[in-house]
Amino acid sequence: MKFAIALFSAAHAPSSRRALQFAQAALAGGHEVVRLFFYQDGVYSASNSVVTPQDEQDIAQQWRAFVSEHQLDGVVCIAAALRRGVLNNEEASRYQRSAVNIDAPWALSGLGQLHDAIQDADRLICFGGP
Amino acid sequence: MSTLHVLSHSPFTDSRLGSCLRLCGAQDAVLLCGDATYALQAGSAPFQALQAKALDVFVLAEDAQARGLSLPDWAKSVDYPGFVQLSIDHDKVNTWL
Repeated sequence: MKFAIALFSAAHAPSSRRALQFAQAALAGGHEVVRLFFYQDGVYSASNSVVTPQDEQDIAQQWRAFVSEHQLDGVVCIAAALRRGVLNNEEASRYQRSAVNIDAPWALSGLGQLHDAIQDADRLICFGGP
Repeated sequence: MSTLHVLSHSPFTDSRLGSCLRLCGAQDAVLLCGDATYALQAGSAPFQALQAKALDVFVLAEDAQARGLSLPDWAKSVDYPGFVQLSIDHDKVNTWL
């Protein structure tokens, strides 16, 4: 079974962790995650400038490790990311901003990537809110 | 054609659960996670609404456990592999974001 997973919440929201646990369980069950699409506040789940208190789980870091380990297609909505100050090297230099807070394994791209993933996958599962 | 409705907002703060139950077809199921699991607080209005609808009701085990909820016999507890299986068993998954 092919899953497309869309995440609408930041790393500190329980739904971000829920999405991660779902994705891990899907892969462990022998299924495929065709794409992860981080939209709206979901871009904060991919930011590498998030600092989590030591006694809490660092979900942004866990996402990064998970995507890297399984070489998944992790796409972050570029419009949502720019408006929230989540920039990669290319965008930071394009808009003359000093901070770069997103890099590999994430790719900044457009909403078309979500549409494409939905066409390709058997199921779209969205996570967001609390 | 069946839909799995996933809820994570508390039923005591908004009307998502009510809207969801109104839309639910006979083949549909509800998965409660996060604060939505409070709908299983025995005797509450959301509890009665769920019970009256007689749908398949699932609850994410860790969230019910974290809140110390005891489950009624009509609610089935699932873990994450169970959640994945539910999403396969239903044709669509609709998350009430």
